[in-house]
Amino acid sequence: MASRLAIRQRYLWNAVLAAAAVLLLVWSLFPFLWILLTSLKAPAEIISVPPKFVFTPTIANYTALVMGEQQGQYASARPDFPSFFLNSMIISFGAVALSIAAGIPAAYALARFNFPFKNALAFLFMSFRFVPFIAFVIPLYILYHVLGLYNTHLGLILAYQLISLPFTIWMLRSFFMEIPMEIQEAARIDGCSAIGVLVRIILPLSGPGIAVTVILGFMFCWNAFNFPLMLAGRQTFPVTVGAIQFISYEQVLWGQMAAASIVAVMPQLILSLLVQKYIVRGLTMGAVR
Amino acid sequence: MMYPFGLGLYYSLTSYWLQYPNRFRFVWFDNYISLISEPLFARALQFTLGFTLVAVIVQVGLGLVVALFLHARVPGRNVLRALMLMPLMMPPVITSLMWKIMMASTNAGILNHMLSFIGVDPINWFGSTQGAVVSVLIIDTWGNLPFVSLVLLGGLQALPTEPYEAAQVDGAGPLAILRYLTLPLLSPFLVLVMTFRTMDSLRIFDVIYATTAGGPNDATTNLLFMAYQYSFQWFQMGKGMAQAVVLLMLVVISSYVLMRLWNRTAENAA
Repeated sequence: MASRLAIRQRYLWNAVLAAAAVLLLVWSLFPFLWILLTSLKAPAEIISVPPKFVFTPTIANYTALVMGEQQGQYASARPDFPSFFLNSMIISFGAVALSIAAGIPAAYALARFNFPFKNALAFLFMSFRFVPFIAFVIPLYILYHVLGLYNTHLGLILAYQLISLPFTIWMLRSFFMEIPMEIQEAARIDGCSAIGVLVRIILPLSGPGIAVTVILGFMFCWNAFNFPLMLAGRQTFPVTVGAIQFISYEQVLWGQMAAASIVAVMPQLILSLLVQKYIVRGLTMGAVR
Repeated sequence: MMYPFGLGLYYSLTSYWLQYPNRFRFVWFDNYISLISEPLFARALQFTLGFTLVAVIVQVGLGLVVALFLHARVPGRNVLRALMLMPLMMPPVITSLMWKIMMASTNAGILNHMLSFIGVDPINWFGSTQGAVVSVLIIDTWGNLPFVSLVLLGGLQALPTEPYEAAQVDGAGPLAILRYLTLPLLSPFLVLVMTFRTMDSLRIFDVIYATTAGGPNDATTNLLFMAYQYSFQWFQMGKGMAQAVVLLMLVVISSYVLMRLWNRTAENAA
């Protein structure tokens, strides 16, 4: 009798677990699925009551996106999505390239050398992760107008360093610190200079770490919204700011906005599968392995 | 990187209207005084702090539940774990736009449609003051719950196994194990996610901008959004910057508090 009860309890417990798993699955997946459906609908179907799950799919939203045309009747707002996508690519690549170039020596110094204020400096870089962006955007906005950097790719790449450089330094530092000190010391005894150690030992050994840093840095830059919202114009908008342009005073192009959202997250989904194991480490700036 | 910030600090002490550069002058702390005496400031401060408190509690609480759940031997755990990465790396703006589509206020919105099955009347998600606050909270939670759960899951998987074996020998129940063993051992990780979530909630902007734009009736205007309005809608750069400095001080204070907490847990764990 008692064992029967125990079995019953176990079944019940398993059912609860399974239900929770399904709930979690729906919670994480459904919004994405629904937007995918929305992006394949014609305008009338999007606002139909009740919402439709079965309909004839159309790729009109995507073609409109690629052609830079719109289905609506107003011409004043015409988001040029392909160029937004290109802008995102240029700015994110540029920002990451600059961050890696500047971050490798900085991370090496912070990981392997002792100098005054070393920890303070490391924490200063970390603190940029937490600073409200607007404290930088306002002066940058004024400065950029004076310097002619407003609404330029270069200006955005420089502003993005606030996102990507601290991250790069902390990530690379955590990867560099994983390399055993003994290898470095052996190289020094064999007559290798400090820079030689970096170029011949550290960099080759942390190749995968650098690749992960590049990919994650790229993803963070891709996600950026605040800096381009205020420092970019229509010619340099990335996809994040671009997607919001489908909401205008005259109308909201739901279908195209959904399609734009799907396109905008595609690189993120593909890249996050590549670096699955490192995402948590990246988001905590190397704190959690 | 420090130069623009120093420049900003200087601007916060000036009267600087972008349209009227001639009226630029040094006004000491006038910006700060007029800000604090504004009724909206008190409301924005209240919303910022209240939202942060609720968001951190909800997200860390739920995140802990999800982490414990994924840590238990659930079938399909790896698939679930991989799928949870999806919301994680999406741009918050895009996340907001997705939810905005789902949260349409009529029955055409899929969320209201689904709620109608369990007898809930259509909710005016972004149109009502309470609805807007809840909506922002839901969207922010969707985007950040995976972060909390995955960090905590990583923490759970790194815990030593010996204390658990000892506890089982002693006949401790699952709840006692959770309370006296898991939570204390996990506390460094809990403080870590709390730190990240607090800092990000204090300066949440993307979600608010894309969905409610601070409204309705300023119900979702936080300090950051107020600073944005001052500087980029009304172009009062000095006042906007003063607001940003106030927010920055708030961030510094909370990071100090959390740092102390971190040191305490680190000492206890050692």
